Amino acid sequence: MNKTRAGISLALAAMTLLSACGNGGGNNDGGEAKGSGPASSPAASGAAGENAGGKLKPEKLKIVLYGDESNRMKELAKTEFNDIVKKEINAEIEFQFLPWTEYGGGKTDLMLSTGEDFATYTDTNYMVKSVAKGLYADLTPYMDGPAAADMKKTVDDNSFKAFQLNGKQYAVPVGNKPNSGEFYSALVRQDLLEEAGMQSVSSLAELEQFYDKVHAAHPELIGFAGTDARRMLMYEYTDKNLYWQNDFLAVDESAKDDKIISWFETPEFKAYAQIMRDWYKKDIIPKYAATNTPQLTSDWNSGKAMFWSGTAARPFEGAAAISQAVPTAKLENDFLSRDLPKISRGTYSTAWFVSANSPDPERYVLFFNLLQKNQELYDLFAYGIKDKDYTLDENGRLARLTTDSLVPDWLLMNKNFMRFDKTVSEDFIQKYKAWDDDAIISKTAGFNFDNAPVKNEETKINGVFSEFLVPIASGFVDYDAYFPKALDKLKAAGFDKYMAEYQKQFSAWYAAKNG
Amino acid sequence: MAIRENKTLIVLFYIGISLFALVCLVPFALAVAGSLSTESKLAAEGYSFLPRGFTFDTYRFMFGSKAEQIVHGYLISVVATALGTACSVLVTTAYAYVITAKGFRFRNHFAFLAYFTMLFSGGTLPWYILCTKYYHLDDTLAGLFLPYLLNVFLMYLQANYFKSIPHEIVESAQMDGAGHMLVFFRIMLPLGQVGLVTISLFYALQFWNDFYLPLMLVSDEKLFTIQYMMYYMMSNIQYLASGNSAQISGVTVAPPLETAKMAMTCLTVLPIAILYPFLQRYFVRGIIVGSVKG
Repeated sequence: MNKTRAGISLALAAMTLLSACGNGGGNNDGGEAKGSGPASSPAASGAAGENAGGKLKPEKLKIVLYGDESNRMKELAKTEFNDIVKKEINAEIEFQFLPWTEYGGGKTDLMLSTGEDFATYTDTNYMVKSVAKGLYADLTPYMDGPAAADMKKTVDDNSFKAFQLNGKQYAVPVGNKPNSGEFYSALVRQDLLEEAGMQSVSSLAELEQFYDKVHAAHPELIGFAGTDARRMLMYEYTDKNLYWQNDFLAVDESAKDDKIISWFETPEFKAYAQIMRDWYKKDIIPKYAATNTPQLTSDWNSGKAMFWSGTAARPFEGAAAISQAVPTAKLENDFLSRDLPKISRGTYSTAWFVSANSPDPERYVLFFNLLQKNQELYDLFAYGIKDKDYTLDENGRLARLTTDSLVPDWLLMNKNFMRFDKTVSEDFIQKYKAWDDDAIISKTAGFNFDNAPVKNEETKINGVFSEFLVPIASGFVDYDAYFPKALDKLKAAGFDKYMAEYQKQFSAWYAAKNG
Repeated sequence: MAIRENKTLIVLFYIGISLFALVCLVPFALAVAGSLSTESKLAAEGYSFLPRGFTFDTYRFMFGSKAEQIVHGYLISVVATALGTACSVLVTTAYAYVITAKGFRFRNHFAFLAYFTMLFSGGTLPWYILCTKYYHLDDTLAGLFLPYLLNVFLMYLQANYFKSIPHEIVESAQMDGAGHMLVFFRIMLPLGQVGLVTISLFYALQFWNDFYLPLMLVSDEKLFTIQYMMYYMMSNIQYLASGNSAQISGVTVAPPLETAKMAMTCLTVLPIAILYPFLQRYFVRGIIVGSVKG
């Protein structure tokens, strides 16, 4: 009896102490940030009464973004952004920024698990995992209604399909940009290429020739600023049009079948590993790449590398960073072959989801719609206030007056609305906009693997991948000497079961799609 | 003869320790030199022990664009450390007193309760729910120290000091009519001073270096500590450089300047580096006293 009483009094004492301090602090600082759920401020309704949003009851939305919040973003979030959102959809908006490490896990998971009301962006992997746990709101009911009407026009339809599971829309795509052939091109430093007396590279031999010539003149530069060139070099070691699903599995897009290819077990992988081994021996990939991969990115950004794997946008996205170090730097995408169609996974940048506990997911959908509704709103969220944050010249070219980023522009990037600065040539813009014209949508687009049945195997093979397969794939060690052992490890980790499960799910999905 | 042998040994020890200390200092020296270098030279030639192209530009830049945030971050760190240390020392010593108080029937139960949490914990999710949904510590100043108020290890350390105080002193005080309050504040705390200083230092270091509580509980930038600002910056850089970001297509954010990273490191470490030499003797003495029971 006494024991019980002692226990209870202890618990009570602890709780009193903790809650007293907790509330005390809450009253002093940042109490407003906690607001969530259906609670709404009465002040909002009056102001928005006459506007389009006035028919809706006031609501509070919380948007989580990752990365740094700039000072200008802070200002705008409280003023213009909030005003326009209130006017259009009668909601108060709060942006919360988290460190990138919390993306797809960490605090994001905690916030989802504790049922907080918020929305942020996701990728297909994270979506499948979270939907299995019931953490995302089902947004299907709002997709055909007026809430999503505008973005249905400005965002590609295939992008919506990519974020559906069992016919239900769990995330809303954002962005519409040429995405095909991602990392399949060689992004070369055109200024160095021209210095070496060359115009472009169209084969492995030419790429290596480029390295040799530049290396002779600038021995301090490294060649390839990465450790993964399987896509860029694909044209060299195979006639198939391989499209990777993850690090282990690929499909051949030129074949009309549902066959999943185990990448590491193909002769193509062997050929690729040997090219990479040569590169590593020749120092095209620097020796420190094995232990210090992040350094490669820094090297690239400070203009100390000759080529990297390219995307449609990288020539102008990356130019800003490099030209700080090397003002004359020019970037150009070259494919090592041109006769295979580029593969696209869809034109989205990412997709928004809404937490399952949100009382009003529709309002979030309205907000996502707002972001890609028209040029005016796009300009506001991506670039800020005209003549204060940016100016436009007579050709509609953009000059930003502040370096502070607002809603991250990689996220919004929509080819219908995006603006270029005047250093980007008209030629390039035409090329960029037409980048996807000869592309095909991957036959796997819209397929999302449910890893639940093979979760353990997946964890184990990922371990084998980083410990044994990466060194071979990046050329740090010799294929012949190390691959048999790595393959044994992979099999022992249950790769065959994983692969069989993947093939089973994909075949079923493929048959349903084409059936 | 014996003395001479000792001397050689001592010389050897000193050499060994100096070498070890040097090894520990290397990264710090590189960081200091890096923060004083010019960005372009650093990118071109890499790190060195002497600054490359000596300049204060980085610090000028940091204090130019982020001065307010940095100063504010410092302020929050100092406040959280001071409040946290004061509160946690009070809670810890009180608990330690309770489980060492002779004649208190349940002291072993309390000792066990504390010990139990050393072995088993509820995990992050229940902890997070407790802190945010029940105690409402999110976005509060209290959230920056309250969850760490009782460190069981330090509590046992303090309990050991208390045990080393002869019980007769307590008894004589009680005979004169002193209650637990008086005994605790007038006898135990003054006599356990060395232990008190030790655990205060441990707590102060812990609170100063902590970035986990702000990460979990704070989203309001007004409550960012200097350590969390540092962590925030580093985690963004690491994530973007790790290639995970390829999953979200098109993220090509140039990592912040190398020299800025180093300057930030120096700014965070500085206060501790200045204070430590003056305080470290308490660490040594405190731990030794605690380990020898009287």
